[in-house]
Amino acid sequence: MSSETSRMKFMCDSSRCIQCFACSVACAEAHDLPVGISRRKVVTLHEGVEGKEVSVSIACMHCSDPPCAKVCPVDCFYIREDGIVLHDKKKCIGCGYCLYACPFGAPQFPRDGAFGMRGVMDKCTMCAGGPEKTNSAEERRFYGQNRIAEGKVPICAAVCATNALLVGDAEDVSAIYRKRTSSRGKGE
Amino acid sequence: MKTIIVFIITILMLTSMAYAAESMIWGNMLIGNILSYGTKDSLNMGPLFTILQSQYFRNIFLVIVIGVPAVFLMHYLVLGARFFSHDGKKVYVFSLFNRLIHLLAAISFLVLIPTGLMMIFGVYFGGGPLVMTARHLHGLATALFFLAVIPMFFFWVADMLPTVDDIKWIAIFGGYLSRKQSEVPAGKFNAGQKMWFWIATLGGIVMIATGAAMYFQDFNLGIASAFGLSQIDLLRASAIVHNIMALLITALFITHVYMSLFAVKGAINSMITGYKEEQELKYLHSSFYRKLKAQNKI
Ligand code: HEM
Ligand code: SF4
Repeated sequence: MSSETSRMKFMCDSSRCIQCFACSVACAEAHDLPVGISRRKVVTLHEGVEGKEVSVSIACMHCSDPPCAKVCPVDCFYIREDGIVLHDKKKCIGCGYCLYACPFGAPQFPRDGAFGMRGVMDKCTMCAGGPEKTNSAEERRFYGQNRIAEGKVPICAAVCATNALLVGDAEDVSAIYRKRTSSRGKGE
Repeated sequence: MKTIIVFIITILMLTSMAYAAESMIWGNMLIGNILSYGTKDSLNMGPLFTILQSQYFRNIFLVIVIGVPAVFLMHYLVLGARFFSHDGKKVYVFSLFNRLIHLLAAISFLVLIPTGLMMIFGVYFGGGPLVMTARHLHGLATALFFLAVIPMFFFWVADMLPTVDDIKWIAIFGGYLSRKQSEVPAGKFNAGQKMWFWIATLGGIVMIATGAAMYFQDFNLGIASAFGLSQIDLLRASAIVHNIMALLITALFITHVYMSLFAVKGAINSMITGYKEEQELKYLHSSFYRKLKAQNKI
């Protein structure tokens, strides 16, 4: 169903998420993330309350009209043709404005400067690397793996045991989700 | 010395405690923040910040940094500078302590404002390490400014309280719109200087507070909850207030520099030597001059 104007999206089906943290751990491991940074987080609400407990995995949602890109004072964001929102760490000044604009709390800042000063922003790349040469050592050091370039699924969705975390073209993802909800309770 | 060390250690302990607590941005409140982003019953801070930062702040700053100097250039060319005799008597008005603290404040502003502007216009500097360094200098200069602002507030606050002279001064724009040399109603400080004092000190403290919030980012000192805000909304509010206040400070700082360096020739000397020309006092601070005369201090 992919078309020229397809946009890559994540979607976490909270009815399937079992709070195993595989996505979050695999992400940190695959991209060699610095301590204190987790591009993907699993958050649980109403923990321990029977029937109400629900978990969901959250990272950058790769918005269609990303507010982070609008507020950046140095214009370090760029949006790939497939809709993946990336940024250039060589331009970023770590000001924190993208975090204030983001609805999902996606941007994070390692305290790796002298005196623990904030460094440049880090966030989920949907495993698509950054502006450096694809699969170069530099790209890997700054942004982690570029699995998309290798034709692989982002690591978080790849390791999700319950297939709660879906990724792909927005239309495909919502079609899967629609099918799941409409067939629920029909013994499929 | 001992108290200073204890003070520093206490601050460090407090900050590490604030950091050690669970994240105030990326923890469980993340869901609440996501669900309330831009909804009707939220404070709408995220979308508000996005609109202000993406469409307004940079343009307004551009107007200020070009417009304010342009107006003063016109003033200088049309009405020209004021001159006062430097041969007359001089009056001692600023103590060495006053001057040193003022110097410290001046240095910090000379770093804070250009580096702040470099961040705002960061895209024209290409971003990266250069602008990042500007950001770090901005933070360092904040520490200097912090040292200056508190004594400065206390040794001048009594002379900066509003008086009737101030209304008269504002009514005639401090006499700056005419070439005529007439006695301008003002005490030790005129209404313009008072305005700058309050913006620079109280406004400066607001800048330190909002800047510190943005610097520490993920802390929990109960400040956000005291305002009934989430931590992320506190940061958004800080960024908005910091930018608006920075506009005022930048505009008034340019004014202050123009007045002391260009509009009144030699005015800067009083902040270097401590002595003001008697003639300058007589005309530009007439009430203060009369008071000194009455007290036989001249
Ligand atoms: C009394 C004056 C000021 C103080 C004490 C102050 C302090 C601070 C501090 C501590 C930060 C956080 C730095 C960081 O996160 O690394 C900050 C950020 C910022 N300041 Fe100021 N500032 C002042 C004036 C100004 C002025 C005049 C401007 C603009 C012309 C400005 C523009 C900015 C900008 C754009 C940021 C955001 C970037 C960031 O958070 O790092 N500031 N300020
Ligand atoms: S960082 Fe936030 S605002 Fe930017 S694309 Fe990702 S989710 Fe959207």
